Amino acid sequence: MNLLIGLIFLAGAFAAVRAFWPQRQAVFGLIAGVTGATLLAVERAALLTLQFWAGLIGFIAILSALLVILHPNPMVSVLFLILNLFCVALFYLFLQAQFLAAIQVIVYAGAIMVLFLFVIMLLNLRVEEGLHLTGGVQRPAAFVLGTAFAGVLFWAILHRRDRPFLEPPGSAEGFGTARDLGVLLFGRYLFAFEAASILLVAAMIGAVLLAKRRLQ
Amino acid sequence: MSQELTRVLIESGVKIALFFVIVLTLIAYLTLAERRVSAWIQDRRGPNRVGPFGLLQPVADGIKFLFKEAITPLNAYRPVYLLAPALIFVPALVTFSVIPVGPPVRLFGYDIPLQIADVDNGVLIILAFASMGVYGVALAGWSSNNKYSLMGGIRSSSQMISYELAMGISLVGVLMATGSLRLNDIVQQQAQRGWNMFWQLPGFIIFLTAAFAETNRLPFDLPEAESELVAGYHTEYSGMRFSMFYMAEYANMITASALLATLYCGGYHVPGLARLGLSGNVAALLGAAAFGVKMGAFLFLYLWVRWTLPRFRYDQLMNLGWKVLLPASLLHLLWVSLIVLKGWV
Repeated sequence: MNLLIGLIFLAGAFAAVRAFWPQRQAVFGLIAGVTGATLLAVERAALLTLQFWAGLIGFIAILSALLVILHPNPMVSVLFLILNLFCVALFYLFLQAQFLAAIQVIVYAGAIMVLFLFVIMLLNLRVEEGLHLTGGVQRPAAFVLGTAFAGVLFWAILHRRDRPFLEPPGSAEGFGTARDLGVLLFGRYLFAFEAASILLVAAMIGAVLLAKRRLQ
Repeated sequence: MSQELTRVLIESGVKIALFFVIVLTLIAYLTLAERRVSAWIQDRRGPNRVGPFGLLQPVADGIKFLFKEAITPLNAYRPVYLLAPALIFVPALVTFSVIPVGPPVRLFGYDIPLQIADVDNGVLIILAFASMGVYGVALAGWSSNNKYSLMGGIRSSSQMISYELAMGISLVGVLMATGSLRLNDIVQQQAQRGWNMFWQLPGFIIFLTAAFAETNRLPFDLPEAESELVAGYHTEYSGMRFSMFYMAEYANMITASALLATLYCGGYHVPGLARLGLSGNVAALLGAAAFGVKMGAFLFLYLWVRWTLPRFRYDQLMNLGWKVLLPASLLHLLWVSLIVLKGWV
């Protein structure tokens, strides 16, 4: 944990120096590099723990999620969203769900984000355009829902405080493989699976119909 | 640090370094092979001045690229512009990590598989990183802030999405026959009941066609069609950054050939080798050599097709992808599932 906090602190300091004194970057970069290397050498035992890597990836996930909202260029936001989805895939790996991790990358980072990229490229949004929040219920609703969500998260953290930081949910042989998941999907959860597939087909046909109607 | 962990780390490190060096060398000589083969097909001599048979030509090319000026256009979006060549090059190399090159060899008392990672869902990892390749091309096109580049990037992303579908569905046929996503199991299953290439011929042809489209090679190289788009998505790149795109194209070709060899041509399996009763390591080396030969055959096919066939028109490309290959792959899937259900193979 010390290592993680130290590295995050160094990265933050480096970013601050870059932003406020653009001419002093090189010196501070050198200091930060040397300090980081010493920290890594002293705390090298932490490099082999799951906690360190999970913490690091969690930090990157939060940072990229923040940048998705805060970055003025929509294209860069899309790129950070891809990074964020990758971090989520890595979290699946930590929980031994290797099949879900691969699917997360294929479906979200691979297929859906390409469409996002495509649309933004075609519209050629250079800087943030047309995002003007008007009055109405949206702003207070967002505030209430956000507070509620933060409360739930806080409650979850308090509730689980004394448990191990990362515990694999299943230690059985073959947990999280495609075979294991297939047996569950086509056995116990068959009805939910088929219902979801019908819903998806209906949505797809509806989308095609709506798009075609505008064409004529 | 436990001893087992140390061994695994050292073993993987050595294997990664070895694979990296081999693939990079292969890329360098593939550029030479492309020029020599094209010369041969067009009845010319090709580059034969630098070293014997022109074998040092890739070195000369590399030095030239390094010393060229790397220009960034004034209105390019710099961070993405610099990131794009890496984004296209890295997925092509990462894919190679799950491909089994040969059966395990026995060294220093350990069984060492000739594969960097023998993961349970290797096929999915390949698909995942294949879909990552789109970003490099699309972002290179967008960030250059050039109309031709943007057209190239958009063309490439729509082309890759369209052909990924047919590719994935024809792949399902192989997975159905094997019942596993592990590439090693796919190779072993082919050793038992014959290569997939023969009894899944339609799937093989669809996969081959889609692989040409995925690697942006002729006859599907519309993202960089010179006659319409100057040079497509890498119009604005120069020097080593330009050569990164070139290297990525060849790395993609190598990965696609390795995949075709593994999925449809039995990977490192040599028919009749098991009957000779050779010792483990010799058989493993022969298997790896056989894999190399199969991969080389597909690489040659890539070059051969490029210098023989003309380029498709864009609407023809899309028609082929959606109206021919996709239905054909679905029909093929039906046929394979019938065979598997009846137990004919």
